[in-house]
Amino acid sequence: MKEVMAVIRINKINKTKKALSEVGISAFTATGKILGRGKGMVDYRILHGAENGHPEAISQLGDGPRLVPKRLITVIVSDNFVERTVKAIIDVNQTGNSGDGKIFVMPILEATRVRTGETVKGESGGGVLDSSGA
Amino acid sequence: MPMLMIRSIVRPEKTDAVLAGLLDAGYPAVTKVAVFGRGKQRGLKVGEVTYDELPKELLITVIPEKDKDFVLKTIIENAKTKDSGAFGDGKIFVSPVLEVYTVSSGVKEE
Repeated sequence: MKEVMAVIRINKINKTKKALSEVGISAFTATGKILGRGKGMVDYRILHGAENGHPEAISQLGDGPRLVPKRLITVIVSDNFVERTVKAIIDVNQTGNSGDGKIFVMPILEATRVRTGETVKGESGGGVLDSSGA
Repeated sequence: MPMLMIRSIVRPEKTDAVLAGLLDAGYPAVTKVAVFGRGKQRGLKVGEVTYDELPKELLITVIPEKDKDFVLKTIIENAKTKDSGAFGDGKIFVSPVLEVYTVSSGVKEE
């Protein structure tokens, strides 16, 4: 099993939800509002404002990148679903601009369904992750 | 290159220092989540009242494996209360990341 963690734009959450359910993944966790910053070292709004001589923009010039609001989604899938999940997320979230987000794939050792107590390990989530069709 | 995810739980009042420290150290990319939790001390006891949902900030950053020690040192230095440290300063968890994709380009990072 793998955990696919994606940081995406706030306005893309509904499209992402839809895209994931079309791939056959109905189970995932979304964390409301999170804040993040990426590799982009320059905030162009501040730079632009400073060029136009706004004092508040000039005073922020040295502060480095701002944290911007994002959404964090976490999907646990069987190994054979990782590629499809990543592709689905990239397809709907890609605008080509920086700030589209990042996707991380991490290993999951064990999954347990709380209702029945059944536990699975290894590549496939089996019955515990059956919404992913494994 | 193998990547690691560093999840650090720090005091909310220390997040700015940690973020600034990471930026200076050359790790600008961070995600921040407001969380609530308790630790080994079972929360905070003030007289009769126990607070076991203390507000903390969860900072998530993904880095190359070889930079681990340096990043951990940077986080710990900035997240500590004074030099000695105190209960409630937080925890850091390190886990492996198998793949990283940038959405805007759709490219897998190597």
